[in-house]
Amino acid sequence: MLRRFEYTQARSVEEALALWQGSPDSRYLAGGTDLIPRARATGRAPARLVDVKAVPELDQVRALPDGGLSIGAAASVARVATAPEVRQRFPVLATCCQALGSYPLRQRATVAGNICNASPCADTAAALLDLDAVVVASGPRGVRRVSIHELFVGPGQTSLERGELVTAIELPAASAGARGQLGRLTRRQGVDIATVAVLVTVLPAGSLRHRVALLSVSPTPMRVAEAENLLDQKGPDGAAEAAAIARAACRPIDDVRGSASYRRDMVGVLLERAVHALAAERGGRGA
Amino acid sequence: MNARWVGQDVPRVDGLEKVTGAARYTADVKLPRMLHAKVVRSPHPHARVRAVDLGKAARAPGVRAVASGQDFPFHVGIYLKDQTVFATDRVRFVGDAVAAVAAETPEAAEEAAALVEVEYEPLPALLDVRQGILPGAVLVHPQLGSYQKVPWITPEAGTNICNHLKVRKGDYEAALRGAAHVSENTFVVPQVQHVPMEVHVSAARVDLAGKLEVLTSAQSPFTVRHLLCACFNLSHGDVRVSVPQVGGGFGGKAGINLEPIATALALKIPGRWVRLLIDRAEEFYAAVVRQGLVATLVTGVDRQGKVVAQKMHYLWDCGAYGGYGVNVVRAAGYTCGGAYEFPNVCGDSIGVYTNRPVGSAYRGFGMQEIHWALEQQMDMVAHELGQDPVEFRLRNCLGPGKRTVTGQVLDEHAGRVDKCIHKVAEAFRRPLEEKPGLLRGRGLACAVKAPAMPNDAASSVLLKFCEDGVLEVLVSGIDYGQGLRTVAAQFAAEALGLPLHQIRVRNLPDTDLSPYDWQTVASRQTWATGNAVLKAAEKCKAQFFEMASQVLHAPVERLALEGGQVVDRGGQGSVPLTRMVMGYQFPDGHTIGGPVAAAAHHVPEGLLFLDPDTSQSAKPVAKWTFGAQGLEISVDPGTGQIQVDRVVACYDVGKVVNPGLIRGQTFGGVVQGLGTGLMEELKVDALTGRVRNASLVDYKIPTSEDLPGELEAHFVETPQADGPLGARGIGEHTMIPTPAALANALFDACGVRILDMPLTAEKVLRALQAKRAKE
Ligand SMILES: Cc1cc2nc3c(=O)[nH]c(=O)nc-3n(C[C@H](O)[C@H](O)[C@H](O)COP(=O)(O)OP(=O)(O)OC[C@H]3O[C@@H](n4cnc5c(N)ncnc54)[C@H](O)[C@@H]3O)c2cc1C
Repeated sequence: MLRRFEYTQARSVEEALALWQGSPDSRYLAGGTDLIPRARATGRAPARLVDVKAVPELDQVRALPDGGLSIGAAASVARVATAPEVRQRFPVLATCCQALGSYPLRQRATVAGNICNASPCADTAAALLDLDAVVVASGPRGVRRVSIHELFVGPGQTSLERGELVTAIELPAASAGARGQLGRLTRRQGVDIATVAVLVTVLPAGSLRHRVALLSVSPTPMRVAEAENLLDQKGPDGAAEAAAIARAACRPIDDVRGSASYRRDMVGVLLERAVHALAAERGGRGA
Repeated sequence: MNARWVGQDVPRVDGLEKVTGAARYTADVKLPRMLHAKVVRSPHPHARVRAVDLGKAARAPGVRAVASGQDFPFHVGIYLKDQTVFATDRVRFVGDAVAAVAAETPEAAEEAAALVEVEYEPLPALLDVRQGILPGAVLVHPQLGSYQKVPWITPEAGTNICNHLKVRKGDYEAALRGAAHVSENTFVVPQVQHVPMEVHVSAARVDLAGKLEVLTSAQSPFTVRHLLCACFNLSHGDVRVSVPQVGGGFGGKAGINLEPIATALALKIPGRWVRLLIDRAEEFYAAVVRQGLVATLVTGVDRQGKVVAQKMHYLWDCGAYGGYGVNVVRAAGYTCGGAYEFPNVCGDSIGVYTNRPVGSAYRGFGMQEIHWALEQQMDMVAHELGQDPVEFRLRNCLGPGKRTVTGQVLDEHAGRVDKCIHKVAEAFRRPLEEKPGLLRGRGLACAVKAPAMPNDAASSVLLKFCEDGVLEVLVSGIDYGQGLRTVAAQFAAEALGLPLHQIRVRNLPDTDLSPYDWQTVASRQTWATGNAVLKAAEKCKAQFFEMASQVLHAPVERLALEGGQVVDRGGQGSVPLTRMVMGYQFPDGHTIGGPVAAAAHHVPEGLLFLDPDTSQSAKPVAKWTFGAQGLEISVDPGTGQIQVDRVVACYDVGKVVNPGLIRGQTFGGVVQGLGTGLMEELKVDALTGRVRNASLVDYKIPTSEDLPGELEAHFVETPQADGPLGARGIGEHTMIPTPAALANALFDACGVRILDMPLTAEKVLRALQAKRAKE
């Protein structure tokens, strides 16, 4: 059952922070697609919700002067998935957004909500990890920039401080043009959380640096640096070896979606496939 | 009859209502001054209830009524009265109702429910059906011997067995000794949930004059009334049950469900409506589920590939209560051989209580579960003999002149499984295209089901004309999407030569106002209600003819119904029906006849009870519907995932009444079958007895994205002798063979057999790895 709570709506970042301070048990509300079902399921709701969707500056997806991209915290997953700047320059993020939930869900859910919720299976986290995103947060003590690599602490836990509001997620110019392959295993075709997902990304031509992110196989979304280094050295020929490294690096558990051992095996299978698919794609484009 | 309406692809008569949202479901009905109920449920799978203290809850803000087993120690159940409204001395599963509260808001009800104090003394729990029949097993119902029941089920007092049907035909032991090849295998089917879009909801009010009204999402308003009266010792005259639109049932809303709890609370606070709307989690663990099955089959074949001896041992996990489930056990018994003729049979269908969620009816009524075993077994035996599974099936299948396991000799009206097998095999002649990196395979399975119902299960209808000639057809079956309203309109239009737009099917059954119908289950409505509509139409026709005969001065035999008129085939005259619907008035003012209306019923004819020791019977059931399905799949050898590329289904339905609706039933059934075959399973924790996946996040059913690439539905039309224009039931059959066909296709694709449903990717991968390790 959904308990009573106070609903407030902020019109500016300052107002959001102040509203948050105004109650001992506040929560920021974006799409609510994690927050509301959880409040209903647990029978515990925060005392106050601070809706940040009406803050105009949080709704923007805009190019940064240095060639990076800033995604406002209130931009929906659907909006990010279809934004031309994202599709053309950061297609990996579009792919991960498209994999999340269902069509109607993506209209409400936000990328910021997805990562603040810090689930080990957060789909957009895979792209943000591979693209070295930076999270911009405003809090009682001012504005902070937190690397995505330092954001996830444990299941449902982030390194954000109490009362900190994520205002934007920035993708660095250096990641623009990166291409990736997402291997995502689910129990049915649509609308399912990943049992395992592997995203292999290659940074833009010239560098050919690899990135490997894994979902649903450790307490947080994770990168596997050792596998990346190996792929940087050996390219697709190192796929099997990289797969073995990733299998060893992940820390899956048994749950209703799958056993730990199956998940571990799938990390290997999906990783190898993604590497080969990426190589084939590059081959096909003659790069 | 040269059919004009029956057989046409007419659109659903209630389609507009449903797609516009005009249709009202139980939870949409705004009841004046309604209270909200919440049930207090057991956290233990098995415990003695020492004390229930309702004091604090009763005093909580907004609370208007509280009730527990102390107030209502009444028994309820359709075939076996083994359940009480609320637990009295013990709880038997996690979710068992212990008490309930009614309050002004859902929040107040929930808060008050948490204040009910229950003192439990936990008892050892029985969570594995196989242990339930061992000596010394935990007893779930020590009082089993004292429960009321219908005569045709046989619980065994002092055990966990709530029903046991024995089928003995020929001499199984001797035939097995003479067999050239013997194969024995054990198959497992887990409990699954119906997952209707609309969860269970019931509301009740006792008015100040003492009348009980119940509004409920149910498949059987009359059966709900009957069972409520038995439970609370009320007269049928003082109880009214009505059912608005129903958002899916699949068997889970058959019999009686939440109604007694809502009624108990309503009795505590006369004058107020009390509505009990459970949530999705409760729907998963506290509402009824499909029973689990452990099936052991022994098949003995001769050198020619004819089965000579067949043993079937079905152990059903009925869960905590078997009120309805005992009849699934029975149906699985008298159908234990599936679509085949087995000359020597030893069949045992045994229902066993456990401390797990409550088993009940589910689309197919045990048939998908036993076909999972039977149809894999037939495939396995065929392969062991080096025979083609299709040929092997054709050699052994039932057909006219063949004897079922209960000794019934099928006649030429019984339907032809051989034709269905041929049709699927024909569709399979197309070569299976290779797909890079995937293993392709195809598999076939047959299906049969008869309606499982009391021998006197009735459907009745009322036809009455309006002043402008519109015909109202009152039917009391539930149309939750299968199309009953549409086919009832088609039969009425057919019989009276009326255009469809002149017919209105009135179908929100209300026991005060509607004609009696037993239940909407057993794939029986098109058949039973269809027959009743045709009979009632004949009676209306007779009333028109009697009037017209006087108007036209022509004998009744010369009259015919044509284009909305009664025509004298011998002379010139005709009278429009519209001139007679309220009686006919002559030019001088005198009037004959009156408002045209008629009632009629259908009750199955000539059904005979089973012999109690052997289950032999010349006509145990009203009809059999046979069919077959073929599946083409691709298996990903790296992940174990199965993709269903093509499904070919063929059923002998006697008569296709509406091609669009029957395609819908077939596709829907196939997809539901794929759900149970590929992904569905209620995961009950082996220690705590809790359902671990009681949510739509953790329990998956297919979505439109899981539809097979190609779906074909074919139909054979061997007319059913007692079917309306030859039609027989099809609603449940469409999901019966799907998982077995899937498993057979898996074997064809990669040589692995999985005997426990569902075929998850993980299981497939592990089986593939085990096979590779052996090679
Ligand atoms: C049917 C269904 C299917 C789903 N499928 C998927 C799936 O496939 N993959 C997947 O990854 N997820 C899935 N989800 C989970 C959820 O939709 C996503 O995590 C979504 O991105 C959450 O975003 P939101 O805007 O709705 O977050 P909210 O629910 O509004 O917030 C989530 C959390 O983040 C906090 N928060 C939100 N915005 C901010 C901010 N700007 N600053 C600080 N804290 C903030 C909130 O306080 C809350 O704790 C699914 C959910 C449902 C209901």
